[in-house]
Order: sequence, then C-alpha cells, then structure tokens
Amino acid sequence: MSSESSKKRKPKVIRSDGAPAEGKRNRSDTEQEGKYYSEEAEVDLRDPGRDYELYKYTCQELQRLMAEIQDLKSRGGKDMAIEIEERRIQSCVHFMTLKKLNRLAHIRLKKGRDQTHEAKQKVDAYHLQLQNLLYEVMHLQKEITKCLEFKSKHEEIDLVSLEEFYKEAPPDISKAEVTMGDPHQQTLARLDWELEQRKRLAEKYRECLSNKEKILKEIEVKKEYLSSLQPRLNSIMQASLPVQEYLFMPFDQAHKQYETARHLPPPLYVLFVQATAYGQACAHMKSSSQPPRQDKTLSVAIEGSVDEAKALFKPPEDSQDDESDSDAEEEQTTKRRRPTLGVQLDDKRKEMLKRHPLSVLLDLKCKDDSVLHLTFYYLMNLNIMTVKAKVTTATELITPISAGDLLSPDSVLSCLYPGDHGKKTPNPANQYQFDKVGILTLRDYVLDLGHPYLWVQKLGGLHFPKEQPQHTVIADHSLSASHMETTMKLLKTRVQSRLALHKQFASLEHGIVPVTSDCQYLFPAKVVSRLVKWVTIAHEDYMDLHFTKDIVEAGLAGDTNLYYMALVERGTAKLQAAVVLNPGYSSIPPIFQLCLNWKGEKTNSNDDNIRAMESEVNVCYKELCGPRPSHQLLTNQLQRLCVLLDVYLETESHDDSVEGPKEFPQEKMCLRLFRGPSRMKPFKYNHPQGFFSHR
Amino acid sequence: STPLQSPTEVFQALQRLHMTIFSQSVSPCGKFLAAGNNYGQIAIFSLSAALSSEAKEESKKPVVTFQAHDGPVYSMVSTDRHLLSAGDGEVKAWLWAEILKKGCKELWRRQPPYRTSLEVPEINALLLVPKENSLILAGGDCQLHTMDLETGTFTRALRGHTDYIHCLALRERSPEVLSGGEDGAVRLWDLRTVREVQTIEVYKHEECSRPHNGRWIGCLATDSDWMVCGGGPALTLWHLRSSTPTTIFPMRAPQKHVTFYQDLILSAGQGRCVNHWQLSGELKAQVPGSSPGLLSLSLNQQPAAPECKVLTVAGSSCRVDVFTNLGYRAFSLSF
Repeated sequence: MSSESSKKRKPKVIRSDGAPAEGKRNRSDTEQEGKYYSEEAEVDLRDPGRDYELYKYTCQELQRLMAEIQDLKSRGGKDMAIEIEERRIQSCVHFMTLKKLNRLAHIRLKKGRDQTHEAKQKVDAYHLQLQNLLYEVMHLQKEITKCLEFKSKHEEIDLVSLEEFYKEAPPDISKAEVTMGDPHQQTLARLDWELEQRKRLAEKYRECLSNKEKILKEIEVKKEYLSSLQPRLNSIMQASLPVQEYLFMPFDQAHKQYETARHLPPPLYVLFVQATAYGQACAHMKSSSQPPRQDKTLSVAIEGSVDEAKALFKPPEDSQDDESDSDAEEEQTTKRRRPTLGVQLDDKRKEMLKRHPLSVLLDLKCKDDSVLHLTFYYLMNLNIMTVKAKVTTATELITPISAGDLLSPDSVLSCLYPGDHGKKTPNPANQYQFDKVGILTLRDYVLDLGHPYLWVQKLGGLHFPKEQPQHTVIADHSLSASHMETTMKLLKTRVQSRLALHKQFASLEHGIVPVTSDCQYLFPAKVVSRLVKWVTIAHEDYMDLHFTKDIVEAGLAGDTNLYYMALVERGTAKLQAAVVLNPGYSSIPPIFQLCLNWKGEKTNSNDDNIRAMESEVNVCYKELCGPRPSHQLLTNQLQRLCVLLDVYLETESHDDSVEGPKEFPQEKMCLRLFRGPSRMKPFKYNHPQGFFSHR
Repeated sequence: STPLQSPTEVFQALQRLHMTIFSQSVSPCGKFLAAGNNYGQIAIFSLSAALSSEAKEESKKPVVTFQAHDGPVYSMVSTDRHLLSAGDGEVKAWLWAEILKKGCKELWRRQPPYRTSLEVPEINALLLVPKENSLILAGGDCQLHTMDLETGTFTRALRGHTDYIHCLALRERSPEVLSGGEDGAVRLWDLRTVREVQTIEVYKHEECSRPHNGRWIGCLATDSDWMVCGGGPALTLWHLRSSTPTTIFPMRAPQKHVTFYQDLILSAGQGRCVNHWQLSGELKAQVPGSSPGLLSLSLNQQPAAPECKVLTVAGSSCRVDVFTNLGYRAFSLSF
C-alpha cells in the first residue's frame, strides 16, 4: 500500500512545480533530524468536516478563477496578462491547498484502513475464540447425553423387590436411614445385597457339586457291586427255572418275550402289547372269581428270527453300497437280464409282498379246550397285517366230507365282522403299488400270505380311512384296545359255532339229525320224515338251481357263504332243501329253499304251503335257536323241516277220485286242516299239548 | 345285487321274501291304497304320487306302515270314513283321515261272538251292506256275522256252512248275500229273513268238479242273476235262478279272486297272471304280474280320483302290481 501511494504520489510530484514538493521533502528531512513534524499527527488535530468545507471552497474559488481567466483570455488584450498572472498565482495557492487536502485525505484513508484492519483482526480473533467455545459446548453436551444414555450392567440384574430387600438384608448392607431417600444409594445397597446373596449361592453350588461327586463315586461303587452280582443272579435264575416251570410262573419267559417284542414292527407290537394286556386282564378276572387257574384263555408269543429283524434296522450305508454295486452290476448285465423281465417282475412282487421276519402268535382257548391258533404277520411294504388261522381240538375230530370248509384256514374267520371277507387289501394305497408290479388283486396271494381282515388291522392299531388316504398310518394303541375284547369274543364264538357245526355235520352226513335233549320240546316225539342226504355244493351249483332264484335276487347268496343240499324223504315224497350257511352263523340263520317232489314238483312259486314251510324255518328261526349261544340252530331247522314235511303230507286233502287208502294217514293232531285265503296247513307245533295249529 | 351282510339286513330281506299280501283297499278319496300282509302290517301307498309323472322310487314305497294285527290281515274294506281290517278274529277300524299320521291308533275293535275254541277263528272276508249300514264278517267259525256299523253290535249270525268261509259277495238289488266256503258250497242268504235261500254245491257238478284240487270255493262274484265262483273246482259262471253252470272257464290253476269288470271277468290265483275272460268262456288275455301267486284284485273306481283309476293286484310277494290299463303291468308298489 505504501508503494502504491508512492506511485501515485510521484506523478503528482512531477506535475507539481517542484518547489513546494522540494520544500516539503526538505522539511520532512529536517523534521527527522531536528524538529519533529508529523503530518500524521496533524491529521489527528484537524477536523475532517472542516477540511471538506475547505475543499469545497477551494474548488469553488478555482472554478471562479478559471472562469475569470477564460473570460479574460477570451476578451484578449495585453493588459490582461498581468491579471491572468495574478489569477494564476491565486490558483496555484488553491492548488497547494488542494494538494495538502489530498495528502491529508490519503493519510486519513490509510489510517482508517489500518484501524479497520486492526479491528477486523480483533474481530477475527474473537470469532475464532467463540467457535472454539461453541465446539467445546457441543462436545460437552454430547458427553452429557452419552453419560445419560449409559446403560449400567446392574439394570439387567434381577434384584429382589424393595420390600423383600429391606426385610431380608442385614442393616449394615441395607442402611435404611441413608438409602430410603436416595435411590442411588438404595440401588447400590441392593446390588451389594445381590452380590452377597450370589456369593452365598455360589458357595452352596460348590458344596452341592462336591456332594454330587461324592454320590457319583458311591454309585460307581454300588454299580460295580451290582455287576458283580449279575452272574450270581443269573446262575440263581438258571437254577430256579425248573421251579418256575413247576409252579407255572413263566416270569423269565415273559421277560424274554418283551425283549424280543422290541424288535417287532409297530403294528405287531401294538397287537402284542394289547393282546398280552387283554390276556392278563382276563386271567385276573377269572382268578378274582375262582381259585387261580393256570391255563390262560389267551396266550401270546412271538415267532421268527430276531436276528433277521435286527438286520432290518442296520444303518443303511451297507445297503446303499449294495445298491450302487448292484446298479453297476445291473448296468453290466442289462443285456443279460432284459430277456428275463418276467423274472424281474416276479422278484419285485416277492419283495413287495415280503413279510416281517417276526410274527405274533395268539392262542385263543375256548371252553371245550379247542384252541384257535392265530398267526399275525406284517407285510412291510404294503403296511398291512394278515392273519393265518388254525383250529385244534382237544379230541381228534372225524372230519365229515361236508365239513371240509368249516375249519379251513381260508374260511374259518371269513366275515367275522359283516362283509369282512379278507380278500382285498384294506390299505387303499396298495392298489397303486400293485399296479406297478402287475398284481391284479391280493386275493390270489391270501392263501400264502394270510388274510388281511379289517379287524386284524384294527387289532394292530392300523386305520385306513376310505375318504382320505393318509401318507403315514400310525399304529394306534387305543384303536387296538377298543377292538380287542369284541374281536376276541367274536373269534371264540366263531370257533365254537364252527366246531358245533362240525359236530352236527358228522351226524347229518349219516342221516341223523342230532337234536339235543334241551331242544327236544320243540318237536313232536314222532317224526317220520328222515334226512337222507347232507352234502356240500358249490356256489355256482346253488345259483343254477331253479328254486333258489329268490334268494339270489335278494342278495342273500354271496360267494362268502357255504352251500349245502339236504334231502328229506318220507315214502315217495322227496324234499330237497338248498341251504345257504352264512359265515355269521348262528346270528345269521341258515336259509332254506325247498323243492318237493311228490305228485309233481312243488316249490314256493306254485305252492303257498311250501312257501310257508320255508318261512317257518327261515323267518321263524328264532324259536328254533334253543339255548344260547344257539349253535344247534341248523339241526333244529332240519328237524323242523322233517316235522313240516310230515304235516304237509299228512294234511294233504285226499283225492276222492283216486282208489285206495291215503299214502300218509294223518297221525298228527290238528285243530283244523286249512285256514285263511291261502289255505295254510297247521305247521305250528304246540308244546306240551302236542297238537298242531296255525300260526 | 350287493350281498347283504348284517343280521338285521338279512332278517329283513328274509321277511320281505316270505311276505304275502292278503288284502287291499282303496281309500274313499281314491288316492291311497292300503295293503295288509301276513305279518299283520298295513302299508298305505299313495297311488297319486306313484302315478304322477315325477314319481321316484320312494313314491312306490309305503307312505306309512303300521302293525295292525298280531296275525295276517286277511281282509280289508273302506267305508266313506273308515278303513276296516280283519284277520285274526277281530275287526278293527281306522280313520282314513288320521291313518297317514305316525302312531295312528285304531278307532275301535270288535270281536264276533265265537263259541270258545282252542284257536281263535280267523276272519276271511268282510262285506259292507250300504243299505242297512252294516258289515258282514265271515271266516273260521263257519258263520256270517252281521254287525251294525252305527252301534257296533253284532245283530245276526247266519249258520249253515260246515267248514270255514272263504269269500262273500253282495247282490246289488235284493238284500241277499252269497258266501263260499271250504265245504265246497255257495250259499245264498236273505238278510231280512236271516235264512239260507239257496245252496249250490259246486263240486257235485261233474263239469266243474276237480277232486285233486279239493272242494273249496275260494272266490265269488255276482252281477244281477249271474254268479261266478272258483277255487278247488273250476272257475264257473252260474245262472242263479236256475242254479245251472253256464260257462266253465278252462283254467287249471285254482283261482283265488274273481270280479266282474264291464263285459269281462277278471280272475287271479295260482300263477303269475291276471286272466281276462269273455263271458262265453274264451280267455281274452293273460297279463303277467310280478308275484308267483295272486290273492287279491282291486279296481280303483272311486269317482273322486279319476286319474288313479287302476287295477292293483297282490299276492305271495311283498309287491302290489299296478295296471294302469288292463293290458300290462305298469309298475309295482313294494313293502
């Protein structure tokens, strides 16, 4: 700035006359040497306003002078020169004043600038200071909020409640008088108490640990003792076996069975457990009412190889290896195998129908010491159970020819529950599996595999709802338990009814109708008609008979029934009776269809009395049931049929036009011969009066 | 058909299989038909529903079935308000107006004065005598009992038959009743004098006698001077005044029901068919039904329901065959 000012000053100096400038410099020189003169100091003394007035005045004077000079000059003339000179001098003085004023202005400006600068610097410093302070404030505020937000560990500790604290903590920790008013102190005290408590608990824990250690050691010692005991016990057990056997207490055997049972598949296990439980319950019930009996009605056993069953549950790694091996093998041998596709399918079928190696054996003992042996199998891949049945009797049975199917494994349990013929798989999913390997129906395999009756599935706790096929069927204990008792009772009834039939058949085949003494009252003492034939006939033959159409049409001749033909004779009259024996005998009666050959062929379609005879044995069978469980029904029906034939023949009106006596003289006592629009004969026998009347 | 399996199903099937429908009666409105069977049940069928164009299988089943008697219901007739049913020695009256309601009880029951017997005699035939508002009952005790429907008292007993009575028929003009019985005689009774007027022993006439079938007269119908009867002897048309058989109808099987219809005689009996005869003895038609033997024919001629004018036939099955026109069986109602 100073250089600038000097630059500006220089041309001024040049333009000026030089003298005053010279003088001035000189003066300044002198000032420096001797007397100090400072224009700067002078500036302070002068009033800028006045200077401004002076400046204005000077400028006006100059303008006036200039205008006068110009005026003079324009007027021209020699005398004017002096005046112009004078005026020039005056102007010069004014110029000097202007110059002085200019200098002063410059100094003032400089001074002002300096002052401004100084002030600005001051302001800057203050500003900086202010910012520092603001920053500091902000920082402190942040610190404060940080402090405020600080989460102390103690907040996470669950402390005991205040009341509890003041109640339990010793006074030297709680310091109630200090802490009551001061929450901080209170918290500290509570924390102290917590610490104290925890220390105590830690102490306790350590004690317990050591205690446990001690006990463990004790257990170890005792275990060692026990294991040393095992061989001794074993030897005792071994020694006690004969005693057990002698006393009929098969504890050991049962134990072994339960060991084996662990390897049973779930449905068989359910069956095993439930059947065992039911057997025990039965034994208890018996023993509570009677002196303890050793023979159980129901005994349960497991058959089959446990090792094979165990092998099924081996880790599947081996089998996977096997599979990959076999895959490789297959690749190699595809060419060889292709021609034997049938064999392959056969293998697949066999695999699908594979049984679990273990099976459950149920022996159901009936009253007459006959035993129903049931073997339950589980088909692993089909997830169904099957059963094979066998009946053994206490005494050897002479098997009548017609009784062949009665006790055969294939039919003895058929339709135990209505419609349950055990020829179809109960698991709806199986059909899809069969389709894959080309099995049409399970029917072809039941002889080998056993029958998959529905009740068998239920005993095993398997339930296959028809509406919604499920992916996983879980063996259900409650299902099995709920069906156990009914099924066992049905099985017993079935065996007994079959054995009873068996016995009856043996007599029937020899033309003897074995009426028991307690059923004798149902029939008159003298029965002339005789049973001469009792044979089994095929279902198809029955369907082909001309007098069985009604039964077939009514849906009473299903293929699960057994069919027989009886022939009753008296003189020239021959009465054929086609019999349908429902597997549900005797709750479902045998159904008779009759055809009488005497003076022409008479059936229910051309003789109302034949129809009435059928109705007597088929519909009024309830009075022929005899004492419960009415196993004698068939015999009684046949005997009734003989009586009915007697009545029919004896009451036949005599044809006056035919010579000679009646073939069948009336021996039965009848109140009336005919009754009603259809001229019914008196078929009803009245005990004990012994006469016949109409129903 | 699907095999039946449960004991109750089998028992019901057997019961149906051995059912015999003995009697029928059309309601006074002509829209309902009552049928009685050998188990003592009466079933009420709705003819109008079964004959309507939108009839379903259910409309061929009874509207209601109830146990009316302990023994078979051998005979039924309808008055303008009541259904009268009889069988096991008793006649019971049911109100047609209430019969369709569940749990309908009989209005009254009456038993004719029987001589005591080990067996209660059955009632085989009922006959209404509209002129004197009485009912004639006949059956097992070989007598005709007349009962006053007004008071319910038994007024007369007509004795003469030597065996039980099968059937009755009323002569329209004079108060005379015909009865046919197991003894082989048709007897004509005058109700005013309570005496037997005429006796025709059918089996004694060689042309209609069939000793191998027996003497019994199972059915009887009359129209002015003519009478037709059948049973053990052949079905024969008789001229009553002269007591001579005029036409013998060539039918081997014993007939159980006969009726005049316009210029025809309809008869049914052993065998599946309803036989249509000309008076001259010609067999005009044989229309097969569904039962192996027939016991009753019923012509619904109630003027109240002309749309239900049908012939219904029942017998030894649980079905009642309905003939909308005489030519063929339209359908069967079934118990």
